Amino acid sequence: MVEERRILYEHLDVPDINTFDVYRQHEGYTRFEKAIAEYQPEEIADMVKDAGLKGRGGAGFSTGEKWSFVPRDIEPRYLCCNADESEPGTFSNRYVLEKNPHLLIEGILICCFAMGIETTYVYIRGEFTLGKKMLDAAIKEAYEQGYLGENVRGTGQNINIYTHPGAGAYICGEETGLIESLEGKRGQPRNKPPFPAVQGVFMKPTVVQNVETLCNLPFIVGNGVEWYTQMGPTYGDARFDPPKADPNTGTKLYCISGDVNEPGVYELDLGLTCTELIEVAGGLRGEEVKAVIPGGSSAPILTHYELDTRLDFTSLTLAKSMLGSGGIIVMNETRNIVDCLLNIMKFYAHESCGQCTPCRWGTPWVRDIVQRIADGEGRQTTITRPKFGITESGRWGDTGETEEIYEDLDLLESVANNIANVDTMTWNTICVFGIAVSWPAVSYMRKFRPEFEAAIREGKLVTLPVAEATVPPEENYAYQQRIIPKEMTDLE
Amino acid sequence: MSEEIIQIETPFQFNEENKQEFDELIGRYPVKEAAMLPTLHLAQRQEGYITPAVMKYVAELLELSVMKVKDVVTFYPMFFEEPVGKYVIRICHTLPCALRDCKVVLDHLKSKLGTDVASETNLAKGTTDDGKYTLMKVECLASCDVAPVIMVNDDLYKNLTPEKIDELLEQLPS
Ligand SMILES: Cc1cc2nc3c(=O)[nH]c(=O)nc-3n(C[C@H](O)[C@H](O)[C@H](O)COP(=O)(O)O)c2cc1C
Ligand code: SF4
Ligand code: FES
Repeated sequence: MVEERRILYEHLDVPDINTFDVYRQHEGYTRFEKAIAEYQPEEIADMVKDAGLKGRGGAGFSTGEKWSFVPRDIEPRYLCCNADESEPGTFSNRYVLEKNPHLLIEGILICCFAMGIETTYVYIRGEFTLGKKMLDAAIKEAYEQGYLGENVRGTGQNINIYTHPGAGAYICGEETGLIESLEGKRGQPRNKPPFPAVQGVFMKPTVVQNVETLCNLPFIVGNGVEWYTQMGPTYGDARFDPPKADPNTGTKLYCISGDVNEPGVYELDLGLTCTELIEVAGGLRGEEVKAVIPGGSSAPILTHYELDTRLDFTSLTLAKSMLGSGGIIVMNETRNIVDCLLNIMKFYAHESCGQCTPCRWGTPWVRDIVQRIADGEGRQTTITRPKFGITESGRWGDTGETEEIYEDLDLLESVANNIANVDTMTWNTICVFGIAVSWPAVSYMRKFRPEFEAAIREGKLVTLPVAEATVPPEENYAYQQRIIPKEMTDLE
Repeated sequence: MSEEIIQIETPFQFNEENKQEFDELIGRYPVKEAAMLPTLHLAQRQEGYITPAVMKYVAELLELSVMKVKDVVTFYPMFFEEPVGKYVIRICHTLPCALRDCKVVLDHLKSKLGTDVASETNLAKGTTDDGKYTLMKVECLASCDVAPVIMVNDDLYKNLTPEKIDELLEQLPS
């Protein structure tokens, strides 16, 4: 049985941990004190890089590397903390904001110190009224205690944190959408490059970082890089000789929802398997796992054949899915995958920001196709080809070979792939929202094709038994090449 | 729409408290435009929804054209351009909530309140005749572990069942 390892969430349930005094009693702000007393800003940035911290917000990009792109000679520089948390299935940031906001402030302080940043905006989704209230109160306390404001703790650096409410648009979670929204405009993503690290908010260098990512910083500084890298697997990237270390270090706040007995946030080392995670979350609610969405609704689905996949950045990327935001949604044998896809596509059709034609029109089109299939009106044709053989009259002739074509499934795949092509990983859109649409659409359809075909054939939604609903992994077309990465220690 | 065409019956203005909050807000950003979302939130809290007068007022405060303000208001689902009920009930209907039977809760709410679900362009459709409630569907509220969930104005209610909805509606002061 896998044990939880609570680090970020260790003091979450301590009464009044949201107040400065109680937070202080639980090592609060000591890590920031250590950072400013013992290290130079550049050393902190190096530590974060060496720790192998990867962004927890979705892209999984190395935080240390991102910081190294920020030109240190341009003033002012900004930090935007991404607390937009809108990816369906994700809810770990909310608890940090509502219960332990000082931890986030400490993380922000460390980042500001390392990068020489004076101003931080925390972009909180509009619906998090309680979270914003708690964070605002904590910020006020931090000002009173001299941890924010002018010349913080004698460093000579001014640090200010402001909260900024969103207003219900999912796309404002995308980093450039967030920046546009922060500037008071529609939250429509920008073309990249230039990346925010170079030209972000108010056209100045900007670090955009998820809440969970920032909350890792106090522990990297406090306990050291060596301690941090012991958690989670480090893989060897075999494209290099000798293999280059690809770290998946630290813990992850896995958010698990759907058909499990005890949904919730579980803090575990990166790298456990789907089966183990379901077990940690009180086991499956139902008889059999039909499917698992591993990283929020944008991630390609995993079938019951893939439950041994490890839930970390590298393994999921090589399994042609992603860890994304760490929102894991479990579905049992009673679920209909066509129905689930319809729900998700309604979400994306609603949330497209409307800038790029393929996304603005393609996403509702995909939704409409899935809706049609779910309504039992999926299009199907039978085509007949000439084929030589013995005909009914006993002579040689054209016996005619017929084939069932599921037109709507081909159309679904082609429309989705024209928003963003999942096979070549190229997209015709400004932001990767396009991929977030076509990834689920194509992966659900390919991996659960029998269920889609049955819905078209029977003219209604048919929920097939798990074994019949899924295409087996031998059909490479559906799974693409799934690779299992090797751990560094195995390679040495 | 240009400034001249908008017919404004009664001009809008922040009350003392909100004016103070706005003055504090505006100092946070190097450009005034950036205060747009928090300012609109304040205005909506005071007025109930974003009227043309509100847009004009916000445009003047932030030194922008009314068009720019309107542009933003129409983009974000949380800003209303029509009156809404005293209690805005947002029900989440995204996948994790759907897996936990949010449909049962939604149907119960609909029949209990005797109203349909509002759409973004037609809020009246989801508003009860007495103007007390507005029912709308929203996307994931980042509380999927306690699904199904609803928000009544600023408060979240978890693990809902039809019985809990009955209790909740009774408790709300009229
Ligand atoms: C459509 C879309 C939605 C996103 N939503 C969020 C979000 O809600 N929260 C978040 O932290 N990152 C979100 N991201 C990822 C951000 O773009 C960005 O990668 C992240 O905030 C960087 O922080 P990190 O490196 O700490 O993860 C989203 C990305 C896309 C494409
Ligand atoms: S891909 Fe979609 S969401 Fe992203 S910028 Fe284009 S239209 Fe907007
Ligand atoms: S799906 Fe309803 S809260 Fe996430």
